[in-house]
This record gives sequence, C-alpha cells and structure tokens, in this order.
Amino acid sequence: MASEAVGAIKMFQKLHKNAGLVFPTLATILALSMAGFLDPYLAFVATSWVIFGLLGLSLDVIWGRGGLLSLAQTAFYGLGGYFGAVIAINLAPSTGMTLIWALPSAAIFGAIIAAALGYVIFFSRMGALQSTILSYTFTLLLWTVTQTFRLDVGTAVIGGDNGLSNIPGVILGFGPDADRLGPNGAFAATVAVSACVYFFTRWLMRSNFGKLVDCIRIDIEKTELLGYDIRKVQVLNFAYSGAIAGIAGAMFALWANYLNPSIFSVQEALLVPIYVLVGGLGTLSGAFLGALAIGGLSFWLGGGAAGGQTTLILGAVLVLLVLFLQNGFLGALDKIWRLYLPDPNDAARNAGAVKIDTDVLEDILKDATAHAGPAKSLSTDEAFKQFGGVIPVNKVTRDFVPGQPYALIGPNGAGKSSFLKTCVGIYRPEGGSILLDDDDITKAPIFDRVHKGMGVKNQKPQVFGEITVQENLWIAAYARTKNSANADKVSQRILGMLGMDGQSAVQASALSHGQQQWLDIGMVLCLAPRVVLLDEPAAGMTNEETRELSLLVRTLAKHTTVVVVEHDMEFVRTLEGHVTVLHQGQLFAEGDIDTLRANDAVLDVYLGRGEHV
Amino acid sequence: MQLDYLATVLLSSLSSASILLIATLGLAVVYGLMGVINLAHGEFLMVGAYSALTATQIGLPYPLAIPFAVAMTMLIGAIVELLIIQRLYGRIFDTMLATWGLGMVFNQGAVLLFGTVSPGIGMPQWNFSIGAYSLAVYPIAMIFVAIVMLTFIYVLMTKTVYGMKARASIQEPQMAQAIGIDSTRVNTMTFAIGCGLAGFAGAILLPIIPATPSMGLFFAVKGFLAVVVAGPVALTGTAATALGLGGGASITASYMSSVFGDVFFFLATALLLWLYPMGISSRWRRKL
Repeated sequence: MASEAVGAIKMFQKLHKNAGLVFPTLATILALSMAGFLDPYLAFVATSWVIFGLLGLSLDVIWGRGGLLSLAQTAFYGLGGYFGAVIAINLAPSTGMTLIWALPSAAIFGAIIAAALGYVIFFSRMGALQSTILSYTFTLLLWTVTQTFRLDVGTAVIGGDNGLSNIPGVILGFGPDADRLGPNGAFAATVAVSACVYFFTRWLMRSNFGKLVDCIRIDIEKTELLGYDIRKVQVLNFAYSGAIAGIAGAMFALWANYLNPSIFSVQEALLVPIYVLVGGLGTLSGAFLGALAIGGLSFWLGGGAAGGQTTLILGAVLVLLVLFLQNGFLGALDKIWRLYLPDPNDAARNAGAVKIDTDVLEDILKDATAHAGPAKSLSTDEAFKQFGGVIPVNKVTRDFVPGQPYALIGPNGAGKSSFLKTCVGIYRPEGGSILLDDDDITKAPIFDRVHKGMGVKNQKPQVFGEITVQENLWIAAYARTKNSANADKVSQRILGMLGMDGQSAVQASALSHGQQQWLDIGMVLCLAPRVVLLDEPAAGMTNEETRELSLLVRTLAKHTTVVVVEHDMEFVRTLEGHVTVLHQGQLFAEGDIDTLRANDAVLDVYLGRGEHV
Repeated sequence: MQLDYLATVLLSSLSSASILLIATLGLAVVYGLMGVINLAHGEFLMVGAYSALTATQIGLPYPLAIPFAVAMTMLIGAIVELLIIQRLYGRIFDTMLATWGLGMVFNQGAVLLFGTVSPGIGMPQWNFSIGAYSLAVYPIAMIFVAIVMLTFIYVLMTKTVYGMKARASIQEPQMAQAIGIDSTRVNTMTFAIGCGLAGFAGAILLPIIPATPSMGLFFAVKGFLAVVVAGPVALTGTAATALGLGGGASITASYMSSVFGDVFFFLATALLLWLYPMGISSRWRRKL
C-alpha cells in the first residue's frame, strides 16, 4: 500500500513538473479535433483568441520571465502584421501559401524592431520605469505616425488611417489557384502555429538561455557578478518576444484580411497585460488561457471582438486583477496543487554542518588555476569615489598580491564596502585607476572584470532565491565553463564541499542566512576567481562555521589574491594576514593585527575617542 | 528671418511648453512625492475639463468653474487613492497597470456620459500683435499660469507642514513613520493634490483644448515622458524637461510640421534616456 502511495505521489509530482507540456498538448489535440465540427462563426472568433494568446505569450516572455513590463508588444505585433501582410499580398497571387512568407518575415521584422528598442533600453542600462515608459511611447508614436503614413509596396497599399486591405487569408496550398482555408481550417492552422511557438518557447525558457533570463529577473546584479553579459541576454530575449509578437501580428492580418492603425492603440495595448495577468504571469501557457477567458467573456457579453462597453469592463477587470489575483488563474491553481505535494524545502531544516576539506579545496583550486591561469594581483591607484558631499573612497592606493589574506577593517562608514564595490565596478570611480595585474580595468563593466578573474561576495548574501541550491551553483559554474557537463561537475564538487548534498533541491530562499552566505561563497568559488573579494562573509555564521571559513580563506589565499572585509576581530586574527584600517575613506593604518591592537590611533577611531574622530 | 517672426515663434513655443508643464505638474508631484506613476493622469485632466464645462453649462461663470473642477478631481483622486493606490504601495508596475485600467474606465465612462464630441466654451478672443504677426492672448497667458503653479507647489512643499511631511515620507519613509507622521494620510493628500492639479490643468486649458474623452492622452504621454526623463528630482526636473522638450518640439513644429515636432520630442526623449538612464536629475543634489 505504502509503496503504491509513494508511487502515486511520484506520478503526481512528475505531472506537476511537466504540467506545462501535458496540458497544452491535450488542449492542442482537443482544439484540433474540435476544429472539424465547430460552428464556423465561433471558429472564426476563436481564432482571434488564439492569436491574442500568442501575443500574450510574447509579453510573458519579456515580462514574466525577463522582468521588463513592455508596453510595446502591440507595436511589434502591428509592425509584424503590416510587414507580413505586405509580403503576403505581393506573393500570394503567384505562389499561394501565405504562411511560409508572412510568418518568417513578420517574425524577423518584429525581432529586429524589438532588438533595436531593446538595444537602447538595455545597453544604456535604463531604469525599469524609464524602460516601460519608453516602450509605451514607442507604441503611441507608431499610433500617431501611422495615421498619416501612406506607402505603396508593389500591389499593397498602406493608406494611413484607411488601413491596409486585400490581405489574403490563410492559404496552405501552393500555386496561383490554391484555395484559402475556411474559418475552421484557419482555426486549425492558427492553433497549430501557436502550439509550435508555445512548445518552442517552453523549450527555450528551460534551456540554458532561459535559466539565464530567469536569473536576470531574480537578481540582475548577481547575474552580472557571475560574469554574464546581461545586456546581450536581455536584448536577445526582447528580440525573441518581438518575433513572437510579429508572428501573432501576421496571423492576425491573415485572419482579419485588413489592418489599420488602431492596432497600435491604447485599447489594444491594454489587453495584452490583461491576458497575461488572468492566466498567470510567467507561466507561458497562462497567456492563452487568459485570452480564451477574456475573449470568451466578451463573446458571451455579446460584443464579439473588443469594443464599446467591453473596454469599460476590461479596464475594471485589470484593476481588480492587479488588486486581488496577483498570480492569475494558473498561479492560484499551482499554489493549491503544491499543498498536496511533498515540500522540497523541508530538507533545508536538516542541513549538515559545513566541513571544509582542505585537500578537496586544494584540488578544486589547482583545477581552477589550470583552467583560469595563475593568481592575479589587484591594485588601486588613488581610487576616488564621491556621493554628493560624502567621499567613501578617498584616494586609496593599495596593492593586494597572492600569498596571504588581506583584511580590511574600520568602523561603520569607513568606506570598506564602497572600496570593494569600486574595485568590482558596482561603483564607478571618479578618479584614479584600478589594475588587475597590469590590466587597467577602471572603466570595464562588471561582467568584464569577472571574466578577467574577479570574484565577489557582497555584504548581503546574493543568491537566486527562486531556484534550487544546485541550480545556483550550476549557473555560476556555467558562467566560467560555458559547458553544461563541466558546470555539472564543478557545481557538484562545490556542493559536496559545502555539505549541502541533501539540500541540492531546496530553493535558495528557504536557506538560513548563514547557509546563504555559504552558498554565495560557493558560487564565487565556482567562478575560479583569480582575485577574491569577500564582504563580511562571517556575518550570520556560527562559531564552528567561522572557523571553517577562516580555513577556507587561508587556503584560498595560497592560490589566489584574497581581500576580506570583516568586523569580527577574532576572525580577522585567525586569518594571520595583512590588515588595513580604513577611516573616512582613507587608508589609516596597516600591519598585522597585534601591532594594530597596540596602536592608540586605531583604538581611538574604533572607540570614538580622541582627536582622530 | 525677421525679428518679429522669431519673437512670435519663441513666444508661442514658450506658451506651448508652459501648457505642457501645466498639464504635467500634477503627475510630477505624485511621482516625486509618492513614487507612483499615475497612468490615469490624462483622464483626471479630462475629468477636470468636463467638470468645468458642466459647471459653465449650468450657469457658473468660468472663473468659478475652475475651483469646482479642482474640488471634483481632488475628491475623485482621494477616493481612488483609498480604494486602489493604497493597496499597491511599493508595487510601482502594478500601480501603473491599475491606474491604466482606471484610465480606460474613465475614458469609456466619459464617452457614455458626454459622447465623443463636446461643445467648446465661449470665450472672448483677445489678440495682440508683434510686428506683422497676431497672437492670441490666452495661450500666452499660460506662461504666467505655469509660473504661478510652480511657485504655488514650491511654497506648498517647502513652507507648509503638509509639504514637509510629504517630503519626509518619500525621503525616509520609516523614519517619517517613526517620528509619528501618518504617511498613509499624507499620501492620500498628495495623490488628491496631484489629481487636483490635473483637474486645474483641464479646466484652465479648456478655452484652448476642448473637452473630449481622449483629450488627456495627448498630454499624458508627453507628460509621462517629461516626468520620467526628469527622474528623481521631480519638480525642478520636470520643469526643465517640459520646457526643453515641449519648447524644442514646438519650435521644430513651427519650422517644419507638427509630425516633426512629435518626432523631435520622442527622439530627444530617447536620447536623454540613453544619456541619463535614470533621468537627468539622478545626480542632482537638490531634492525638490
């Protein structure tokens, strides 16, 4: 009995894991089999719902996965539609078969436009709000411009607000006398196209590319600190979403046989986030569900396609959705389903102690040296950073070389973390230079510095909370190895060293603060850095863990350059390294810990007495 | 190029930039003091315009119709804040979506209530001339209205207890609450003031821009851009961007065509965002 129950749970878990594959497949089969006997008018209207679902999918890719609320999806949709339609109008009379002309051209056109807009947004590292507003502007700019835009392309006549008519329908046969499909055939063709796009998107979002897209959404800074050129990934993802929108636009053009500038209107743009929110943000298939629900609702209300009072209702629906149903229908369903599944995060509670095995660590580090080259030195020359009237880094000149650990200490606000952030590029220095060996990296972007061998753990542990411990380490290892199998190997070794084998399937957000610190350090180790910067690694750790950490840092220092910012003086003492005291952004004193402990000026700074304050 | 033509172009460009600024200030106040982008701002402007129009139709003189419009929009704004915005603090994109939906409801509601075409408001047409060119007085007067509005907001934010509470609430929210400021009530007030400013804009611009359900959209879009390009220092920044972008677009429009004016506006916006990804005021040291 018990084994049967376990088997049932396993099945249930498996079904949950593959729900995005199983249910859409069933839905596709159902839709295709219904296409034969559906009422033609209903089939005609339902085709538009599927197209809107496809458009919603394009938004979910960039918003639910990529993290950018783009209000330009209808722009790519409209432009793709116009472009695909112009191609179809010109080629259909002689060749028939509209899909193979219109869809790829619309996809490419949509992708190019989205990539151009994405380039502006992501390469200038625009703020989130600025990006959203710019995308909205883009749509509205098209709305204004297309009202008066007139152009004849071959036999296609784009007539401003008169629109573009005579678009051929869905034609599958070849040759000049191929027949266009009836409503039911067009419905089936649209379902088939949408299913292909959906399953490809699902595959893409589960691939290494998709994992990166997820990581960027969860913590963009950390992803860049792993050495990924996030801007390229974001532009590519945006371009892909533009391609989907373009395909949807071309299908819409073939379905409606007519396009006009209202495709760029606010009402049209409004619908897309509604579809996604109804179905469930980030679920991919939710967009179709949302489009079906909204389309069905307005059909039932008697409006057919959106218009008239429907706008009023949809506006109110959007408000209510945002207020009350944040994760949409599929999100709510998933939450209920998970209640009946064993919680993978249970394992977080019985984590083993971290035990640094120096032999294993030495092995890993030698391996890293073999792959990434010898340790590098880090030096700053008059590095200077200013925020308004505050100068957290004031002309700091210091060399850090491999061999012994360096500790940076100083009272709160001394500029320790700011100094590390300036070294890694999170802060851009206003003056001075930063060198990695002889390589001037003062102006290099973060990911470039990481490529050249920097590894950083910031003060607050940065882990990707929504993905598992193993995936966290894997994505770090993949940044360096660029090879799935090698990344598996590296992340498995680090996982073992951290004693987290039992927690590999736990979500990183379920870990305790100290465990997250270890995971973050583990991710840095996966990068095989040549210079390691650790900001308060001991915070939140037990005494035993701090001892292990000290061992780790000392072993690391034999193979790389290590700089540690720490408040825990006992920990700093056990490092037996070089200690630098920062005060008000400047180098204040240095030496070994015992000399500094005997130094009255240092005590003054720490205890806030005397003339040095 | 004659001097009188140049003066005419400059004056009318300054006037249209001021009109944009008038329409945008409410948005800037809400963004600057609450961190909320109210996508229904344009619709509040429209509500103000219809309120003023309705008031004049029932016999109220135009100067009295303006305060009526302000009161109406402030009231609606306060209700919206209590029912919607308050539940979404800290979720800027959700707030945007909710206010967007709200804007559509207002827009469609206006279509149902007033139809899509509205009568203009009868106002005497005064003109004055520079050299060979004649200009209408009312649009030029908007320059002074914009200055008065800016001064009013500046005084409100710096000299009144409410203003100081509001600025404290956005700069250090926790500290503000710790010293006993009820930031929720302050926010309701701020949002109502922002909507009231939109209503004022709709009413004062009524003689130039007739009330239609979609009238807000034109200003709202340019207003969002001006505010977002301005960045964190909302008031001064918005004054700068509205004058720069609006004035530049207007000058471009008078030498080429209105489409080029719009294109100038959008391209200049994109360029500024490219150069200052977090807004032009992201490195300014002043805070208002």
